[in-house]
Amino acid sequence: MTDPTVPRAGITARGVRRTFGDVVAVDHIDLDAPPGKVTALVGPNGSGKTTLLLVLASLLVPDAGQVSIAGFDPVTEPRAVRARTGWMPDVFGTWESLTCREVLLTVGDAFALPRAAAAARVDHLLELVHLADLRDRPTQVLSRGQKQRLGLARALVHDPDVVLLDEPASGLDPRSRIELRGIVRGLAAEGRTVLVSSHVLAELDEMADRAVIVARGRTVAVEEVAAAAQARRTWRVRALDLGVLLAALDARRTPHPPPDRDGVEVELGSDVEAAELLAALVRDGVPVVELAPASGVLEQAYLALTEDRR
Amino acid sequence: MSDDSLTSAAAPGPDDAAPGRAPAGTGVLLAERPMPGGSGSGTWSLGWTGVRTVAVLELRQRIRSTRWTAVLALWTGVLALLTILVRWAVHRIYDESFDGAGLAPGADEAAARLADQVAGRLTFGIIVFLVLSLAGLVSPALSATSINGDRQAGVLATLQTTLLSPAQIVVGKLLAAWATGLALLAAAVPFIGWIYLDGGTPFGRLVVVLAVLALTILVVCAIGLGWSAITARTSSSAVLTYLTVAFLGPGLPLLFALSVPLVTENRSVAVRQQLYTAEGAPTGCQVVQEERTITYTNRSWWLLAASPYVVVADASPKPLSAEGSDDPMSVIRDAVREARLGPRFPLEECYGDLARSQQFDDERRAQRASLGVTWPYGLAADLALGGLFVVVAVRRLRTPTRRLPTGTRVA
Ligand SMILES: Nc1ncnc2c1ncn2[C@@H]1O[C@H](COP(=O)(O)OP(=O)(O)OP(=O)(O)O)[C@@H](O)[C@H]1O
Ligand SMILES: [Mg+2]
Repeated sequence: MTDPTVPRAGITARGVRRTFGDVVAVDHIDLDAPPGKVTALVGPNGSGKTTLLLVLASLLVPDAGQVSIAGFDPVTEPRAVRARTGWMPDVFGTWESLTCREVLLTVGDAFALPRAAAAARVDHLLELVHLADLRDRPTQVLSRGQKQRLGLARALVHDPDVVLLDEPASGLDPRSRIELRGIVRGLAAEGRTVLVSSHVLAELDEMADRAVIVARGRTVAVEEVAAAAQARRTWRVRALDLGVLLAALDARRTPHPPPDRDGVEVELGSDVEAAELLAALVRDGVPVVELAPASGVLEQAYLALTEDRR
Repeated sequence: MSDDSLTSAAAPGPDDAAPGRAPAGTGVLLAERPMPGGSGSGTWSLGWTGVRTVAVLELRQRIRSTRWTAVLALWTGVLALLTILVRWAVHRIYDESFDGAGLAPGADEAAARLADQVAGRLTFGIIVFLVLSLAGLVSPALSATSINGDRQAGVLATLQTTLLSPAQIVVGKLLAAWATGLALLAAAVPFIGWIYLDGGTPFGRLVVVLAVLALTILVVCAIGLGWSAITARTSSSAVLTYLTVAFLGPGLPLLFALSVPLVTENRSVAVRQQLYTAEGAPTGCQVVQEERTITYTNRSWWLLAASPYVVVADASPKPLSAEGSDDPMSVIRDAVREARLGPRFPLEECYGDLARSQQFDDERRAQRASLGVTWPYGLAADLALGGLFVVVAVRRLRTPTRRLPTGTRVA
């Protein structure tokens, strides 16, 4: 832990490997999640995301590799790691007969939090995830999305420095997703380290600062979302009059595939190029309705890197 | 939510006007929170607050599930029925046999009182053994699916990622299961007490019986907990718990019976035999060396000691008034002690000598009485077994873990 290259805060994983019998769940994953940032962990089904999070949450011993959470090693110093880590599992089970509030208070007790402070925080967290109305209902009556939100609150009860979220958005309705995004950004804004695994790439575009893409248990790419936005990608242009639009594009020698019903896709090098194209089209009198990326920033990187799944 | 620092970093939520939202991302930050640093996993730390947290959690869950009330009601009903039936049957037998005796009026009354006492003791013994057997059947249900059930429901990892140590989780679960078992025992107390009030049973026996019952339930709960930590499936742990309990209860005495051939030998031993006159009339006695088949139960009696039935019987004080062994507990106690003494040489076969025969019986009884008690060892063995299962459970709950039970996921 005295290695100066390892930062004191945040998450670092180097060469993590974990097998179950002859199944190699995590082969070789390198990952850095700095504090104050939201790091996304994306990859196909079975690529080892959940397994990696279990290693980070001090539940599994890696077969090889080093892990540091907030400066502590989950294998040799699990208590120190647990006190600072909030983990939200992908399938969140709850104690069925306990009420939402009791579930969170029990977790507070399990973290040896002072009772009064824990109670205040629990009430606030219930507000935050919009379960205040259901606070005294047993968790077995909760819907899937409500359980998921309770799981998020549960991971935050002890005010953790590092937050590990395994597919937090699954089962959430659109409004809850937007709120989740807000909560996650808020966690990072408070200086916490957030690692989110998710399949909803469009959402990660807005939520994450960085993305670690894994496939077959290996890190295949690390994308800075802001930088990825500057990369070459496909944009979609729509105009009231498709003929005028196509003529203007051809006049500017912008290559494009055959148009579909009401729009056309173009390849642009960066946001700057997109802005230039829009200005030019408007100048030329094309009635442009829409100019937007055809796919998310991460989606493109992801699809290019991960062709296989298991 | 417009004053919310977290939303300033995000797209405005659709419910901006939601009242009463506290400011800042996750709101009320904790002024103080335990921040253990440094190394050490604290597997065996047993702080009471943590144990209590787990126990309260378990009890809340159990009491609120409707099944539990049904079990308690059923249990009480079955006990009530059994007590009434056994009491009625025993009294019927004794009242009849004493009514038919046709004794003098004064003696009749004394005999009737004696009959009541004998019947009371017999009923007490039967009911206690019934409660013990039923407790052995019901207690595994309290703990035998506790850990793997939690694992299946996905809530075990939730506890394991907190500051609770594996020992706190296991002991908390054990205490909760035990408390539930004690509730079942408490429901049985009125019936046991009722039979006790019938008379004939020494007070010490009542206390001992309740204490041994309580400890036996603890051991059974520990065994269930251990198996539920070892196996992945709840059905396997339930079956293994029942097998272990069956091994302890009826299994050990059965093993003792099966071990008889192993401790039986053909030996030339001293035998006191009857001498006869030429006409065939018995005269005196004589010791001779003869080849005999001898069963040395003094080598195998310890198999009996750990059975809870034997522990309870051996620990119960003998009724002061009673001469012989007329209730199940005294019968078991005397049988175990007889086995412990083993064969005595010379073998007594001079049956004509009644005085000698009586003397032999008296000596034997004195020997039995002078034997040290065995129940502390039996009970200690049971408790040690329970302790072993607890230790296994704690070791199984240590995280981070290297190996998982096959076919399970952590989450
Ligand atoms: N306990 C286990 N025993 C055996 N194999 C396992 C175990 N846990 C995970 N695996 C295997 O390891 C691989 C990685 O699983 P993991 O759950 O980490 O994937 P994931 O990236 O979270 O997938 P998803 O996106 O579907 O959630 C899978 O092939 C899975 O079958
Ligand atoms: Mg997963």
